[in-house]
Amino acid sequence: MTIIPILYLKSTLIASIQTELTDEEVLLFQSNLLKKNHKLNTKGVIIDVSTLDVIDSYMAKVLKDLTSMVKLQGSVFLLSGVKPAVSSTLVDMGMMLNNVETFLSLDQAFDYLSTKVQAKK
Amino acid sequence: MTSNKTSALKYAESILCELVIKKEWQISKARQELKKIALSQGYNSTSIVELVTSMSELAYNLFFHTNNGGEIKISVIKCDNGTGIKLACNDSGPGIISIEDALQDGYSTNGGLGGGLPGIKRLMDEFTIASNQHGTSITCLKWLI
Repeated sequence: MTIIPILYLKSTLIASIQTELTDEEVLLFQSNLLKKNHKLNTKGVIIDVSTLDVIDSYMAKVLKDLTSMVKLQGSVFLLSGVKPAVSSTLVDMGMMLNNVETFLSLDQAFDYLSTKVQAKK
Repeated sequence: MTSNKTSALKYAESILCELVIKKEWQISKARQELKKIALSQGYNSTSIVELVTSMSELAYNLFFHTNNGGEIKISVIKCDNGTGIKLACNDSGPGIISIEDALQDGYSTNGGLGGGLPGIKRLMDEFTIASNQHGTSITCLKWLI
């Protein structure tokens, strides 16, 4: 089973999804992320998908669900690194991920979080 | 073959891979096999993502919605029109109650996003579906550009 490392850096949680995940792995990742976010009270969570070749409807649902869950915890959810072919395929599939805030690179997402987003105290 | 334009022309189909989808790990194996075949046929990266995403949706449908899983055949078509990759997906039930509903964006019976079948239809060049209570058969094809 793949365990996705979740890193804590300057009030931000960062995780990179690099391979497709099974149901079980997704649930584990989800609960690990939410627990860690709850404990550390972060400003935001960034998920990087720059090495992910395929985002199918299952993965899209996972990302959409995560957005709502993290938002309920009072943090901002950011997605970074969607590949060109992946973005066109997602739109063809009818999955715009409209409520998910996205950035071209992890760098930009992190910059945005540290300069534009105020921590809720 | 589904298309009229190819029926009168020279046409050769070779099945390169038959995949059984019953368990979740077989879905990612199916994606890898298809990617290998698409690369060897010279598909570009966007087409490969579209093909592999379609495969993923078909395989997840077999995994989530059928009684005993199903099988997907990957074949390469060579004809006067060019080269194409065909995915033929078959299962043994319970079938789709309303194909019209299943082809609507946002329609889902298991809490998913409901983009699977209409998505495949848009990603692939040709798409046919038939279903009754004994099973569903979906065939789709993407031409090499």
